[in-house]
Amino acid sequence: MTRAATPMLAIRDLVVTVDGKQILNGLTLEVAAGEVHAIMGPNGSGKSTLAHVLAGRPGYEVTAGSVSYQGRDLLALAPEERARAGVFLGFQYPVEIPGVNNVYLLKAALNAVRKARGLPEVDAFDFLGLVREKMQVMQIDESFLSRGVNEGFSGGEKKRNEILQMLVLEPRLAVLDETDSGLDIDALKIVAAGVNSLRSPERSCLVVTHYQRLLEYVVPDVVHVLVRGRIARSGDRTLAIELERRGYDWVSGEAA
Amino acid sequence: MASPLTARIAEQHASVARTLAARLPGAARRRLAMETLARTGLPGSRDENWKYANLRPLERASFTPAALTPPAAGADAAVAAALPPRLADFMRYVFVDGVFAPLLSDAPGTGAARVTSLAARGDAADAGPAVPAPRHEPGADQRFALLNEAFATDGAAIEVTAAPEAARLELLFVASAEAQLGASYPRVELKLGPAGRLVLVERHLSAAGAASFVTSAVSAELARGAALDHYRVQELSSRAIAFDTLAATLAQEASYRLHAVGSGAAACRSTLGVRLAGEHARVALAVAALGDRTQVQDAYALIEHLAPHTRTAQTFRGISAARARVAFNGKIVVARDAHGSDSRQSLRGLLAGPEAEIDVRPQLEIYTDDVRCSHGATAGKLDDNMLFYLLSRGLERDSALRALKWAFLEDVIATIEVPELRRQVEERLAGAMQDGAALREELI
Repeated sequence: MTRAATPMLAIRDLVVTVDGKQILNGLTLEVAAGEVHAIMGPNGSGKSTLAHVLAGRPGYEVTAGSVSYQGRDLLALAPEERARAGVFLGFQYPVEIPGVNNVYLLKAALNAVRKARGLPEVDAFDFLGLVREKMQVMQIDESFLSRGVNEGFSGGEKKRNEILQMLVLEPRLAVLDETDSGLDIDALKIVAAGVNSLRSPERSCLVVTHYQRLLEYVVPDVVHVLVRGRIARSGDRTLAIELERRGYDWVSGEAA
Repeated sequence: MASPLTARIAEQHASVARTLAARLPGAARRRLAMETLARTGLPGSRDENWKYANLRPLERASFTPAALTPPAAGADAAVAAALPPRLADFMRYVFVDGVFAPLLSDAPGTGAARVTSLAARGDAADAGPAVPAPRHEPGADQRFALLNEAFATDGAAIEVTAAPEAARLELLFVASAEAQLGASYPRVELKLGPAGRLVLVERHLSAAGAASFVTSAVSAELARGAALDHYRVQELSSRAIAFDTLAATLAQEASYRLHAVGSGAAACRSTLGVRLAGEHARVALAVAALGDRTQVQDAYALIEHLAPHTRTAQTFRGISAARARVAFNGKIVVARDAHGSDSRQSLRGLLAGPEAEIDVRPQLEIYTDDVRCSHGATAGKLDDNMLFYLLSRGLERDSALRALKWAFLEDVIATIEVPELRRQVEERLAGAMQDGAALREELI
C-alpha cells in the first residue's frame, strides 16, 4: 500500500460528551482499507460511545476533533447518509420493531445503499436469492423474514440478524459493537464466519469487544486498548491475549 | 327547558313526521325516541364523555333526512364511483343517505342471513322501541342513537340463524347529500340467533367528497353461542361530520369481535356500548384511528361485564398528525356478579405533529374481587431508538417515520381477516399517510 492511500477511517483528537459528561477524551485512531481493528477496554472506557458516534446517534456531542471516512468529513453526514456511504453499525442491543418486517427492512436498506452507489433497485427475484444465500451463512431460518424486525428474537438471533444485514448491505466500514456479548460458542463461530466472509482489501472493520474470545475467530490486524476515553495502548493480536492474561488493570494502571 | 338546539330538532321532526310515516313503519317508535330526546337533549361539550368530540357543527346542521329531498343532478354517478371493489363471497347491500339502493345491491339473502330493508319490513316492526331508554350511567350514551331512531328513513334489518358456514355481508353506507340539504341516518338492526355466525363489513363512504352530516346507529343482539366478526371502516370525506352509536348485547358464550378503522371525516365521534350479559360471553375490540390536518377522531367505548367468566380484550391505536385530535376513552365495568371475568386494555396514541393532540383514557370500575384486569395506556412520540435503527440502515427519514407509523397501527390492522378488505384498508391508510400505494407495496 502506498503512503498516499487515503485511510478508510481517520479519527483525530476526538472529544465527545454525553449528557454533559465527557466520555471520549482526545481519541486518535487510523484504520487502513482492508484492515480489521479491535477496540478493547474495560466497562465505561468509551467503546460503545465510539461506535455510536461513528454511526451518528443523536445525543452524542462532538466538542473537538475530527473523523474522516474515505477522506470525507463523516461527522457532517446524517446517520442515513453515513449508512448509504458504506458505514454499518452492528448494534450491541439490536432494536425490536414489531410491525416492520425483516424483509422490508433488508430491501429498503439495500435499495437505499444501491441508490447511493448509482445502482438500480434490486430485482425482487435476485433479492430473495441474495438474502437466502446470506441467511444460510448465518444459519437463520427463512421464517424470520416475515417476522417483525428482531421481534421476539433471542439475544443470539438478534446478533446473527445484525450480521445478516451487514452481509446484505456489504458496507465499506463495519463497526461491530460487542457483537459477541451474550453469544454461546456456536453462535460466536457463526457470527465470526459471517464477518470473515466480508473481509477484503476494500473493506475495514472495527470490532468493539470486552473479551478476546471473538478475536480468536476474527483475527485482528491491530488491537487497541481504550482506557478513560483514549487509546492507552496498541499492538498486534498478541496484545489481546496478554490483556486476557493480565487483566485491564494492567493497562489502566499504566494509563493513569 | 329544552335548549334552542333541541327545540329546533323537535320542530324539524314535527315537520317531517307525516312524510316519514308514509315511507317507514314505526311511527310510534320514532315519536317515543323524539320525546325522549326532547327531554335529554343532545350531548354538550360540558359532558365529561363528550369533551373531545366536535359538537359545534350541530348548531348549523339540518336534521331533516336528506332522503326526503330529491337527489342532486349526477348523484347516481357519484355514488357508483364511490363504491369500492367487491369482496369475494360477500353479499353487498348499498344504502345512499341511509336509504336502501336495490339497483346497487344484491337480492335479499336467502341463506342463513336474512337482510331486509327496514322500509320494506312492514308494520310488524312497530311493536316497541328498539333503543332502550337512555341512561347516562351505567350504559353507553344513546342520545345520538335516539336522533337516528327519530329521523331514520330506512336501514338494514339482519337476522342470522345457525349454519355450517358463517354468513358474509357487506353494508355500504354512502353519504352523498351536503349537510345544509339534509342529514344521513344509516341504521342497522342486527339479530344473531343461537349459534348464528356472521362476518359483517360496515363501511361508511362519501360520494364526490360531499360535506355530509351522518348520524348512524347499529344495534346487535347476539344469542347464546353466536359469533359476530364486525368490520367497521369509516372513510367519509374530509368535510363530513359523523356521529355513530353502537349497542351490542351478548348472551351466554357469544363472541363479538369488532375491528374499527377510522380515517375519514372532518370530525367523527363513535360511541360504543357492549353488554356482556351471559356467562362466558367475550368481546374483542380493536380500534384504529388516524387524524391529520384539523380532523377530530373521538371514540368512547363502554364494556359492561354483567355475568361471570366474561372476557374483554380492547386495543386502541391512534395517530394524530398536524393539528388533529385523536381521543379514545375506554371504560370497563365489572359488575358484582361477574366473578372470574378477565379484561385487558391496551390503548396507545402516537403524536406525529407538534400541534397534534392525543387523549387516551382507560377507566376501570370493578365491583367484585375475583377478576383479572390489566390495562395500559400510553401517548407519546415515535421511539427514537427505533428511528435511529432504521436510519442507521440507510432508510430516508420520511420512509423510516412512515414505516414506524405503519407498524404502530399493525396491532389493529393485523386483526382484519378478510384479505381484500385488509388490502383496501391498507391502501387507504397508506394514502392518508401521504405516501400513495407505494408504501403498502414496500411493506407487505
